[in-house]
Amino acid sequence: MAKNMTINLRIWRQKSPETPGKLVDYTVSNASEHMSFLELLDVLNEQLIASEDDPVEFDSDCREGICGSCGVMVAGIAHGPQQRTAVCQLHMRSFKDGDTITVEPFRARAFPIVRDLVVDRSAFDRIIAAHGYVSVKTGSAPDANAIPISKDAAEEAMDFAACIGCGACVAACPNGSASLFTAAKIEHLALLPQGQVEASQRAVAMVDQMEAEGFGDCSNYAECEAVCPKGISVSGIASMRRAYMKGVFSK
Amino acid sequence: MSDEVTNSMSELSHSPRLDAKVPAGRLQEKWDAYKDAVSLVNPANKRSHNILVVGSGLAGASAAATLAGLGYNVKCFCIQDSARRAHSIAAQGGINAAKNYPNDGDTIWRLFYDTIKGGDYRSREANVYRLAQVSNNIIDQAVAQGVPFAREYGGVLANRSFGGAQVSRTFYARGQTGQQLLLGAYQALSHQIAAGRVTMLPRREMLDLVVANDRARGIITRNLVTGELERHAGDAVLLCTGGYGNAYYLSTNAKNSNVTAAWRCYKRGAFFANPCYTQIHPTCIPVSGDYQSKLTLMSESLRNDGRVWVPKDPTDTRAPEAIPEDARDYYLERRYPSFGNLVPRDVASRAAKKECDAGRGVGETRLAVYLDFDAAIRRLGSSTIQDRYGNLFEMYERITGDDPYRTPMRIYPAVHYTMGGLWVDYELQSTIPGLFVLGEANFSDHGANRLGASALMQGLADGYFVIPYTLGAYMAGIRQSESISESHEAFTATEEEAGARIDRLLNNKGDKSPTQFHRELGQLLWNHVGMARDHAGLEEAVSSIESLRDEFWERIRVPGSADRFNKNLEFAGRIADFIELGSLMAQDALRREESCGGHFREEYQNSEGEAVRNDENFADVAAWEHTDRRPVLHLEKLSFENVHPTTRSYK
Amino acid sequence: MSRPDVTLVSALMSPVGRKVLTGVTGIGLVAFVIVHMIGNLSYLSPDPQAYNAYAHKLMSLGWLLYTVEIGLALCFLLHAIVGVSIQVRRRQARPVGYKAYKSSGSPSRSGYSARSMIFTGIILLGFLILHLNSFKFGPGEAEGYTAILQSGEEVRDLRRLMTEKFREPLYAFGYPVVMVLLGMHMRHGVWSALQSLGMMSRRLSPYIYAFAALLGALVAIGFLVVPLYIYFSG
Ligand SMILES: Cc1cc2nc3c(=O)[nH]c(=O)nc-3n(C[C@H](O)[C@H](O)[C@H](O)COP(=O)(O)OP(=O)(O)OC[C@H]3O[C@@H](n4cnc5c(N)ncnc54)[C@H](O)[C@@H]3O)c2cc1C
Ligand code: HEM
Ligand code: FES
Repeated sequence: MAKNMTINLRIWRQKSPETPGKLVDYTVSNASEHMSFLELLDVLNEQLIASEDDPVEFDSDCREGICGSCGVMVAGIAHGPQQRTAVCQLHMRSFKDGDTITVEPFRARAFPIVRDLVVDRSAFDRIIAAHGYVSVKTGSAPDANAIPISKDAAEEAMDFAACIGCGACVAACPNGSASLFTAAKIEHLALLPQGQVEASQRAVAMVDQMEAEGFGDCSNYAECEAVCPKGISVSGIASMRRAYMKGVFSK
Repeated sequence: MSDEVTNSMSELSHSPRLDAKVPAGRLQEKWDAYKDAVSLVNPANKRSHNILVVGSGLAGASAAATLAGLGYNVKCFCIQDSARRAHSIAAQGGINAAKNYPNDGDTIWRLFYDTIKGGDYRSREANVYRLAQVSNNIIDQAVAQGVPFAREYGGVLANRSFGGAQVSRTFYARGQTGQQLLLGAYQALSHQIAAGRVTMLPRREMLDLVVANDRARGIITRNLVTGELERHAGDAVLLCTGGYGNAYYLSTNAKNSNVTAAWRCYKRGAFFANPCYTQIHPTCIPVSGDYQSKLTLMSESLRNDGRVWVPKDPTDTRAPEAIPEDARDYYLERRYPSFGNLVPRDVASRAAKKECDAGRGVGETRLAVYLDFDAAIRRLGSSTIQDRYGNLFEMYERITGDDPYRTPMRIYPAVHYTMGGLWVDYELQSTIPGLFVLGEANFSDHGANRLGASALMQGLADGYFVIPYTLGAYMAGIRQSESISESHEAFTATEEEAGARIDRLLNNKGDKSPTQFHRELGQLLWNHVGMARDHAGLEEAVSSIESLRDEFWERIRVPGSADRFNKNLEFAGRIADFIELGSLMAQDALRREESCGGHFREEYQNSEGEAVRNDENFADVAAWEHTDRRPVLHLEKLSFENVHPTTRSYK
Repeated sequence: MSRPDVTLVSALMSPVGRKVLTGVTGIGLVAFVIVHMIGNLSYLSPDPQAYNAYAHKLMSLGWLLYTVEIGLALCFLLHAIVGVSIQVRRRQARPVGYKAYKSSGSPSRSGYSARSMIFTGIILLGFLILHLNSFKFGPGEAEGYTAILQSGEEVRDLRRLMTEKFREPLYAFGYPVVMVLLGMHMRHGVWSALQSLGMMSRRLSPYIYAFAALLGALVAIGFLVVPLYIYFSG
């Protein structure tokens, strides 16, 4: 039988970007080891609705670790203690009966808090819009097999393309840098012939946008890679820097 | 719903309201003929046309990017905080196309034929043929965008066989094909956003359609951050809002997937087609407790090497490893000797349900069967199995805590996809002029059952390659002077109605949360409108849903207020619509007195328990029209001029 | 999209440029400390005048030395300014901090060395000033610190100055402590600089990271043996 657990939660509550927030204590006494962490929050919210309290707002959608909607700091770590796991796939088995867990939103100036644990990550969309694409219109594509791509290149591109855009890299970075996110897209496209054409101007435009959004600098802590649900490598950041400088010097 | 009504319904003839506008000519030439004849919109005029694209999944993002690229002024909406998070992102397995790169005999005709047959002969030939035709362009487009599909060592694209297809026509990017295709479309969309041709409005929920002078003129949305109701006028509305599988509460769909946008359009006059066709996927991780919030799909490919079984003796509660071979029932291999564990989704799902109903289910809830890799590991070695399924095994272990290398997986079917949706003609236009429906939200291409890897294909076909032409046909025919502004009374009235619904939800100081109602609805639908349906159960469902609806409006409690981020308020509105839809699903299932595809009526099976279709009376599309009293049925009779309906058999 | 308007200056002010600057200057400083450390080790040579000869050789390089010194000064300055500016931006990028925060562990490189870069850096800067004051601008031939090389040349007796200084416990133990901090700064710095300059791949990374640790340790040890030797041999 599934073990019944009591979990104490200290959750960040904040009504709007302007109002100050605070940690509030809650207890869920009917948690199960098979629950996901977000299901624990669901159960808490049902409890809060029943007692006419305000439920805790948090983002989630696919709940299978692919959409990147979810993302909170669990016990001080983005997405919680289990590596390569988005918080929607983190299960209560990772905790002990009686644990007290602090839950905070992803914090960064570029990710203003919407409410409670919900933040605004639209800065990421603007970084992609800066040039995170191949400029090709619908209908103008040659046959898919016209340009061979080595299996290794395709696989490596896929490693970077796997980014789910959750923002954990920013949240975990002591500097609040978005370098891993930005580099992942630059690298994904730079590794493929279709993307190489615009590679250096892409790098310049995206890096500049990242700066304009108010993210911090990268001090190569690699904390981002450690919390990334997809384990995206910081080697991408090194390549991004190469591409950027190439963009500057080949001008 | 009484017998006399249902009986008279099947005798309806083709409804004049349902003109599919299929072009004349040979099947193979229809689409080209259509494109040759379609009127073009002057590029200068395109700029003055405002198109509203609701949804940013494969269908919405591809349509918005393409139309903006053509010069239209586009606004695109989605519920999530970013267009990139639409539910399409979760698709795992792959996307079909008739490229025939492996040279194993695939053709456009064969893809067309498989799709029609897989849909159990309940879809429109011309639409499906067009889908197969444009499938190849999708792969070209995606590769050009930088989608990192799997490759062979020689550098060409890799293909695999999927869902029991006899040819390898499925393209894939690891187990993340939907993600990669959606990111491709999202990036193309971002390109147009940067160019100023698309205004992206995330965290918006469409709450209603604005209709004036019998045309779709705009939408009302709620800003999910501030709670504000907003008006958006447009010359056409493209609904790309996905499927309604979440009516069942537990499904593999994302939490925000809903029917609200489609349902509001239905209430404004768009017909809802085949709501009873739901696809149940056989290999999902079973429910573990009543806190369960969604179900996770395990790729179908697992059945290539896994063997499905249950203990012969229902009282046998030994650990699976301890149960000897002769005490196990490999029921799929026993019942379907030629297809074995690879029977199609609907067949595999029903078979699992049958075992569990007979008390042979396993695990704590007894609602699961084993999927065992022991034989495959012994035959191929665990490293081969790891190469093939490593990340799936990891995911399974992450969720259940069990290691599938050592102990069999436990799986159970779950709601996965809805073939039904708003009725559309060949041009993807609904029964409301100016309202187009794309992707899973329409009913169009999959008949009564969708083949694996065909939904991604359809969403992108609709968005990249069909709508740019068919929307042009509509646009060329409208006059700018007829468009209305956001201060028009139709906007005012529709916004007021949407606001009133929200107020009603919030002011009702009941005692039950939205989720409680959603669970109850889900249970009802799963039990009676699920994998197997029967007359009595469906009638019971109709009346139980009716009472659930009354109870909902008496007892719902929605916390918080309207002027802020409020997830429970969003959910409550969607659940209210799901409840109404649930009733229509049951009524549609009741009227369809046959078993076909995802719709299995207990009464219509042969002595071996296989589905029995009734082509004489039910080779049709059931399109429901909303009225103040009860929904009115219209039929589109399907004619098969190119293929001949046969019985699917997997024995 | 038209090509964004970038100049070398704007590029160096960008997030990538700032890292290139800390990286290039950091590497320059690393090269300097290695040379410096090897030079120091000549104190331990059996030839008692080896150290003074080495110092004199450096001094006699003339304009070449001045160029290197100016370069070094610029490196220090730029390195410190950019390093501090990165820290300032870090504050701005997260105005409200976490109540609970911890590292997720490997493959994170955010250990003690990494997180103390700004502190070790500032201490190094302070140390540098003291150090220049004690030695470079310390007492010379005018104050009677003269030695005569085998060649008969009269040179500044740095060896004596060093010996005197490191007989004082504060110097003898303070200096090694700072050298450990220098080692820590290099432990993250060497890996980080190569990453900043784009000279990193997934395969190389763990080796370079290990190499950085080794180099940091060697430099620290190389520097601290001399004062400890002087103190304990005295
Ligand atoms: C787990 C899983 C695996 C799958 N695997 C495959 C596969 O391998 N191959 C395959 O072909 N198919 C697969 N499918 C099916 C396929 O993913 C979907 O059918 C398809 O992606 C639907 O795309 P769509 O664009 O129609 O809708 P969606 O991707 O669902 O997008 C809907 C969009 O509409 C928006 N929206 C919804 N309602 C509103 C509203 N009221 N107001 C504003 N916006 C709204 C949403 O925000 C979203 O942007 C899978 C499905 C699931 C659940
Ligand atoms: C003047 C005193 C110094 C200060 C204030 C200082 C400060 C810093 C800081 C804050 C960083 C981190 C930059 C970041 O966050 O990315 C850094 C990096 C570095 N420092 Fe120093 N430092 C000093 C001296 C030195 C010395 C003497 C060396 C040589 C051994 C050195 C080598 C490096 C290297 C190699 C890096 C890594 C550069 C990179 O990440 O690109 N520093 N320094
Ligand atoms: S909810 Fe989609 S990644 Fe967690």
